[in-house]
Amino acid sequence: MGLVTRPARRADDAAADVELVRRLRAGDRGAVDDFYERFRRPAFALARRVVADDVLAEDVLQDVFLAVWKDPAAFDTARGSVASWLLAMVHHKAVDAVRREESHRRRQTRAEDDLRMSEPIAHRDVEDEAADRVVSARVRNALQSLPAPQREALTLAYYGGYTQREVAALTGTPLGTVKTRMLAGMRRLKDTLGGAVGSLAVEGGAR
Amino acid sequence: MSGRDRRDAEHRTWDELAVGWALHALEPEDETEFGLHLAGCDRCRTTVADTTEVMGAMASDLPEAEPSEELRERLRAAVAATEQVHRPAPASTGRPAVIAVPTPIGVPTRRTGWRRAPQLLVAAGVAAVLGLGAWTVALTQDRDAAQATAASQASMMSSLLAPGELTVARMEHDGATVATVVARDGQAQVLTDGMATNDTTESTYVLWGVTSGQPVALGTFDVVSDATDLRTVGSDATGLDDYSAYAISLEPGRQAPTEPTDVVANGQVTS
Repeated sequence: MGLVTRPARRADDAAADVELVRRLRAGDRGAVDDFYERFRRPAFALARRVVADDVLAEDVLQDVFLAVWKDPAAFDTARGSVASWLLAMVHHKAVDAVRREESHRRRQTRAEDDLRMSEPIAHRDVEDEAADRVVSARVRNALQSLPAPQREALTLAYYGGYTQREVAALTGTPLGTVKTRMLAGMRRLKDTLGGAVGSLAVEGGAR
Repeated sequence: MSGRDRRDAEHRTWDELAVGWALHALEPEDETEFGLHLAGCDRCRTTVADTTEVMGAMASDLPEAEPSEELRERLRAAVAATEQVHRPAPASTGRPAVIAVPTPIGVPTRRTGWRRAPQLLVAAGVAAVLGLGAWTVALTQDRDAAQATAASQASMMSSLLAPGELTVARMEHDGATVATVVARDGQAQVLTDGMATNDTTESTYVLWGVTSGQPVALGTFDVVSDATDLRTVGSDATGLDDYSAYAISLEPGRQAPTEPTDVVANGQVTS
């Protein structure tokens, strides 16, 4: 692995991901193992961030990977990467789970934590490869470079699983303003992160 | 303002909804409206795809975490016991399949419309029942996910999909769909999703049919799980599809009172 540069590996990864989906479509149960091996960590990291509960997060993962097995053809190769598709499914199911499970009261108290999470945070040095640090630092920098209200709105929606109306209530902002902030923030993130966005999605998942 | 700028300005509301859609952060009414729009809007499909990619990148900025080894085994066992969904050939239009139509317009309250269309359920409309959130319109991908969920709950589904004329109704509380009533002659079932469980020793849920403003208790049922669950309402009522609305109330005691005390969800027949 040491001789392979990371950008090259990323391109290989994208091709390998598509190949995994092809095997799943062909009914190869072993491909689920490989698929799980590849994506379990970023998927779990995202699910537990949203649901704030490891057991529930694992239920979400089981749902997602089983759904991928059942219907791999749901992946539309014309739009986006396998990684983003998978993580969007994780996000969707995690948000559904948290809306089902969390009482309103708990959500209120957790909202304070989520608001704090939208603040700039010290770098958590949990990754062992310098390249990974560069990648996640790039995402983090892109987030931190957003105007605070945009970052706050996107952070609450994405990591917190709140609806636009809930974000409006939490931040004391009109709903229309929240919608505008989310769009503006997303556009800015896309511009900042550029075309490399798709390949960033599974850093840490492939090792 | 150039033509392009003007188009951008006109489309801005949709752009905003596209981002919210991808983030799964829309309110139910926005989700319904945007879902219809998305099916025919290439620009919005691009915005959704772009947002999805950025979300994927945001996922990389999270503390690393490793799921338990048990999960791998659990998944392996579930996969071994699960057959794949065999989907029909994709529609040739290249557009997502719209499997349910929007709720009727002109309903001033937040109640969501009812559908009376058995073929919808039997064909591809499992999602219309299972997609309790606000997925009155489901794109191909979501429909398949819903079908996958459905397949894992085979007994629930076979019960729901039994032949015969039926009425499907989405029951709402505070704008959120918390249950779907599936009524056919002589039997009513409630597919709950996110309703609070009741204490089965000292309270009960009651399903009410409403005609000309007068609620009629159709039977009682308990909610024993706040996840999706299918409850059969104890009832031998006939003519269930004659009601213009349904309501669900939570009642003290184990008997249905003569009129509901605390209505927790309702929905109107608009067919």
